[in-house]
Amino acid sequence: MNLDPKNFPQAAREALTDPLLRPALGRLKTHFGAGRAAAVARYGDFEALREAGKAIRDYAVTHMDELLTQFEESVVARGGTVHWARDAAEARALILKVLQDAGAKTVTKGKSMVTEEIALNPFLEANGIVPVETDLGEYIVQLRKEPPSHIIAPAFHLSKEQVAETFFASHTGLDPKRSLVERNALVQEARAVLRRSFESADAGITGANFLSAKEGAAIIVTNEGNGDLTRLLPRTHIVVTGIEKVVADMTDVSVLLRLLPRSATGQPISTYVSVMAGKRGADESDGPAAFHVVLVDNGRSKLIGTEAQDVLRCIRCSACINHCPIYGAVGGHAYGATYMGPIGAALNPGVMGVENAAHHANASTFCGRCAEVCPVKIPLPKIMRHWRAVEHAKGLAPKSITAGLGVWAFAAKRPGLYRFGASVMAWFLRSIGRRGTVHALPVMQGWFAVRDFPVPQGKTFQAQWRARK
Amino acid sequence: MSGGRDEILSSIRARQLVRTPKPEIYSAPKSEGDLAESFAKKLSVQFADVRLLDSMADVPAAIADVLRGKNMAQRVHIAPDSALALDLPGIEVSREPPGQNEAAVTEVPFAIAETGTLAYPAGKGRPASWHFRPVLEIAVLRASDVLPELEDVLKRLGGVLPSTLNLVSGPSRTGDIEQTMELGAHGPKSLAVLVVKS
Repeated sequence: MNLDPKNFPQAAREALTDPLLRPALGRLKTHFGAGRAAAVARYGDFEALREAGKAIRDYAVTHMDELLTQFEESVVARGGTVHWARDAAEARALILKVLQDAGAKTVTKGKSMVTEEIALNPFLEANGIVPVETDLGEYIVQLRKEPPSHIIAPAFHLSKEQVAETFFASHTGLDPKRSLVERNALVQEARAVLRRSFESADAGITGANFLSAKEGAAIIVTNEGNGDLTRLLPRTHIVVTGIEKVVADMTDVSVLLRLLPRSATGQPISTYVSVMAGKRGADESDGPAAFHVVLVDNGRSKLIGTEAQDVLRCIRCSACINHCPIYGAVGGHAYGATYMGPIGAALNPGVMGVENAAHHANASTFCGRCAEVCPVKIPLPKIMRHWRAVEHAKGLAPKSITAGLGVWAFAAKRPGLYRFGASVMAWFLRSIGRRGTVHALPVMQGWFAVRDFPVPQGKTFQAQWRARK
Repeated sequence: MSGGRDEILSSIRARQLVRTPKPEIYSAPKSEGDLAESFAKKLSVQFADVRLLDSMADVPAAIADVLRGKNMAQRVHIAPDSALALDLPGIEVSREPPGQNEAAVTEVPFAIAETGTLAYPAGKGRPASWHFRPVLEIAVLRASDVLPELEDVLKRLGGVLPSTLNLVSGPSRTGDIEQTMELGAHGPKSLAVLVVKS
């Protein structure tokens, strides 16, 4: 699989004709979209909750330095260690060092998009450590050597038949004649296989949905319980997450917990919320003997104070992805990046560079649904528009687009010329149109391949405007 | 500590333009009526078997009945040092951690009415992993320990968190295959909650 954001146009074209992807993408609306709408309708004043969430995240982003140092003090006070990684390579090296110091050979993993972002698994494997993904969706895509196609549903693109094929191919020690027709049979098989991994792992790595500065806690929301078995059974627990996940305290976390599952899956609360504050306490019956947190910057801090700062409020619920017509048409793999859909389009150009990820910002109709459903009110289309402007200013936009826009801009600034051009165009379209429709032109053939253009009717807008005055 | 710390912090500070004020504390819509009933209603729709009992004396029979309903042996795991003082005639009790096909009986310190949630601060006799190891968890809760919302649980803990605070709102589930919910992904496939009124 070609994981290159620069390959987006080609990958998107291929995805559009992938018959296996259609039924999966159809479930966006029927499952995620409908679930969120129902949960929001049941909550009372959801708008007030969104405002509260936005204010909490704005405070956190604009006090990130203070909150991160407070978080570190709180973790250290409980006997944990905080590591700071400027980029992906530093994060990988720090995690490897913690694992090597702990003598770890196998490590279970809870779902973490940041460890996808820093490409942790191949690095650990190259260094003799076996990572086992334990979130069911992550486990399936790990077996298939694919990246996740959705930030909260990694195996979103697959059918149960494809999952069954994967299990038959991977779980070779089991009866080849067993039935894996039912979804629950697949779930139970994964449960049994992964339970052995949980019990034998030397270390566990989870992500964090939030970090609470005052209490020194990492908070995860899950439905499966895999994150907890990852933390609680091995001797060493490592949390790997982005610096922007920090908030002031557990009171703020309580508010965000009302927003996150409703926006993500339409649940009032996820089945499990786990507040993980350090290593096992003296009087406690179980828990890890060592606790580490790796804070990853990797391009985030440089967004503060820019037009893209608001994207740091993101709580990774995926509501924008679930309501995006572009993601709904091409799926997640086409983006060639860890974060896809509107959040990817707003974040990736900032952290990966406009020269690498401008396609993501361009892949938008600006319909605005992403901003309407965002639980922390990130103005996603506005940030995408900012990246388009940066792309244009840097001279990175394709010549065919800048040349066309140049011609249009030249005419738009000259009313007489524009008037003349518009009436010529209208006459031309009317003369080649058949039954009110233009089917093809010598230019824009790609556009006309799948669309028709209506023949202009009546007078031009400018002519009508003049007549009104 | 690594050398990245100061560089990341100064990168944040170099760009930090406008610090927004600490927002006012948000107040969530309050649920009406009896807390325990509200809790039971919310948790029941999350595929949990919630039973209201009159007194602790009814707990042993309810445990036996839950096990029978699941076609499981009359055998449960109860953590060493558990505060649950239960006399369970006819039920074998193990103090070992439960396996993935076994049943555990746990003590619930707090519950949350707003979302139908069990709140388990880890502690002596309350091993956190026991909420994830068994196939069936039978949780024993006193109705008076049901609080309105998560913020109230945090207040009761007095600002000091244990190493793990687990919030549980139903049996383990996954929607990772075709976005269709299946129960019993890694944690318990079934959750029974015995709410004792007095």
